[in-house]
Amino acid sequence: MAITGLGPHGERASAPERVLLLPEDMTRARASGFRVAIVLHTLVSDWAKQQVSGIVGMLGNCGVAVIDVVDCAFTPEVQIEALERLIGEAPDAIISLPVANSKVVAAHARVAAAGIKLVLLDNVPTGLLPGKDYISLVSADNFGLGKIAAEGLSPHLPDGAEVGVLGYDADFFATNEREIAFVKWMQVNRPDVSLRVQRFPALSEVAKTTRNLAQAHPALAGLFVVWDTPAMTAAEVLETIGRRISIATVDLGREAAIGLAASEPLVAIAAQQPFRQGETAASIVVTALLGRLAPAWVALPGLAVTARNVVECFQTVWRMPAPREVLRKLSLVGPAR
Amino acid sequence: MPTTATADNDGHPRRKGRPRVSETAAPSLVDILNLVRTEQATTRQEIERHSELGRAVVADRLGTLGELGLVDESELGTATGGRAPRLVRFAADRGRILVATLDQTAIGVGVSDLAGSLLMEHHEASELTQPVSALAERLVTLFRWILERQAEPQLYGISISVPGAVPDGGEALFQRNTPGMLPGWESFPLVETLIAAFDAPVWLRSSVETMTMGELHAGAGGGRSTMLFVKVGKRIGAGLASDGTLFRGAQGAVGLIGSVPVTVGDRTGTLEAMAGSDHIAYDGKIAAEHGASPILADHVRRGGEVTALEVAQAAQMGDAAAIDILAQSGRLIGQVVATLANMLNPALIVLSGSIAQTNDILLAAAREAIYGACHPLVSRDLQIIRSQMGSSSGLVGAAIVATESLFAPPMLRDWIMAGRPQAHPLFRQVKDEIAQRKTIAGNIVRPPDV
Repeated sequence: MAITGLGPHGERASAPERVLLLPEDMTRARASGFRVAIVLHTLVSDWAKQQVSGIVGMLGNCGVAVIDVVDCAFTPEVQIEALERLIGEAPDAIISLPVANSKVVAAHARVAAAGIKLVLLDNVPTGLLPGKDYISLVSADNFGLGKIAAEGLSPHLPDGAEVGVLGYDADFFATNEREIAFVKWMQVNRPDVSLRVQRFPALSEVAKTTRNLAQAHPALAGLFVVWDTPAMTAAEVLETIGRRISIATVDLGREAAIGLAASEPLVAIAAQQPFRQGETAASIVVTALLGRLAPAWVALPGLAVTARNVVECFQTVWRMPAPREVLRKLSLVGPAR
Repeated sequence: MPTTATADNDGHPRRKGRPRVSETAAPSLVDILNLVRTEQATTRQEIERHSELGRAVVADRLGTLGELGLVDESELGTATGGRAPRLVRFAADRGRILVATLDQTAIGVGVSDLAGSLLMEHHEASELTQPVSALAERLVTLFRWILERQAEPQLYGISISVPGAVPDGGEALFQRNTPGMLPGWESFPLVETLIAAFDAPVWLRSSVETMTMGELHAGAGGGRSTMLFVKVGKRIGAGLASDGTLFRGAQGAVGLIGSVPVTVGDRTGTLEAMAGSDHIAYDGKIAAEHGASPILADHVRRGGEVTALEVAQAAQMGDAAAIDILAQSGRLIGQVVATLANMLNPALIVLSGSIAQTNDILLAAAREAIYGACHPLVSRDLQIIRSQMGSSSGLVGAAIVATESLFAPPMLRDWIMAGRPQAHPLFRQVKDEIAQRKTIAGNIVRPPDV
């Protein structure tokens, strides 16, 4: 699937194949004894775990030692402190997912200034430049993910429907792109639909924001939530207040997959490929450490998932069998004994 | 030293008798604000020294600027013996500038503070060939989306980078109407639409001009005052920063080097036609068809389209035919740029555009041609590099265009007492004119040309 979005500085996307490593690259890397550290927003989510295994596995193939994997718990202060500490350790490269925008700019800029190669995941704090402050950004095609979600939700919306959009009230490249793309697709392809946008500032506020949105618009027929964890919270809230609203979201988490298999309330998911993304980030690190030019933005296409293909997509994304509940809901196995 | 504020420029008669307090205070307010804004002075003592104003006047003016929210004195500096001085800082967070770049194939939007620092940006694919009204509608939608995400700060201006020269001579304080820029654009009142929608002054500059400003302030240009910027794409254009400011020429049409004729073998054409991205793509397709480029041929076999970017990527992977194509483009561009360099003696030449940025070969060939053809004095310390800012340079540059214009003394002195540029008499007049035209012509702001 083609990449529809543009990078954080308007870059055209490069495919992951651009940084494919050949056996001779791996041999050279193995001989060099590189050290790399990983700094993620969280290590708790399935997405983060898959990402880490992709990175660590690929780096392992290239004989690169992973010297630290830091969980920033979504907290800028923790990330700043971790980066400061790691600069002191002087690894050859750091792979980081910036948890905020302006708050963590300076800390990330110091990494490159210290001569350490920086590869970013998902988000570029405004002001950092590829080639100068970091090597590459690796992310999903977030604009494409928003579009896939809109395309998936559209058939479930009657003419003239009201649709809610639950955005994330933080300046975060990935979620901004998804929201803009969803809204744009609807405005272009479903001009009959009225969009009602509200944003939650933190995961703890999702329930409240959902309730406000639902109460302010009693006729809501559909809802788009910018990722799956808040989408599942929103689904619970809506069920509690007795509202049946079709939901589309991004990321094929376990709970989301179960919801999607039942086609209720989730009807469409745009899935990222975190394992592949992790492998790509690791390949970029090795490419850069071997002194080759890496593209400024490498994007991975999203997968359009519905109840019909949820099992194979789950396997593609997570490299493991779909949960038992999913298989049961789709009658691929017998009922629980 | 700016003269006392009067309303001469705005058609209002000058009053007789003693000037108002606001009129006598405005020039010193303008001076002090600009000293603080440009960080030439960061304490009251430094302001007194630079402005040659007395302590009482400086204290009074800083009080006014503080009330207007334009300076902040809450921070303490380092003591050099005795009490630590209070730092005087420009309150860049007081307002926001909306910025946009309209490109041949993409639209970029962003928001900056009053120091021109970009706070947020977004880029999406968009064809310039679509009706201007549709483009303007998308721009307004994206601007509204950004403004929704800003908490308190007020909008101080809108600055747009457009893909063609903006013919205004550069003398206007801000855009009073929409100039004829590109074919098909003259029928749509873009500037008027933005003023009506957002109630803020609008600036328009060519993309090469904004990118030059962006690169000078936030990119490779740091600390240099003379820089030549060359953008290589479908079109090839150049921008010149001299003494730290943009050189705009007589009509704002500087750097249209794409129309310089060049010759390769027995073929002669414009630089754009012989070295631009369309030509690179064309030669790439030929190389793929004739089997000269195995990588591009393979790409075509898999159903891919050959654009200049594919040629650049193939060259990066070592494809000989693709390397030749890019090296020739680089050489031609280098020959033309060398002539400019010999005339202008820049400290830095920055090559920009996706081909130059994703590829070393075009840059290397251009370098070779430039260094080879330059006078030794010109090339001695000359640096030739590729841009690292991508389309962000256009957004940052647009923000700088707006802030430099907003705080230029001739503009600033007529709004500073109100603390907001919307109070500028000329802006109020422009708004009235737009409102009148709207009343007369009914739907003139949005003609039904979709």
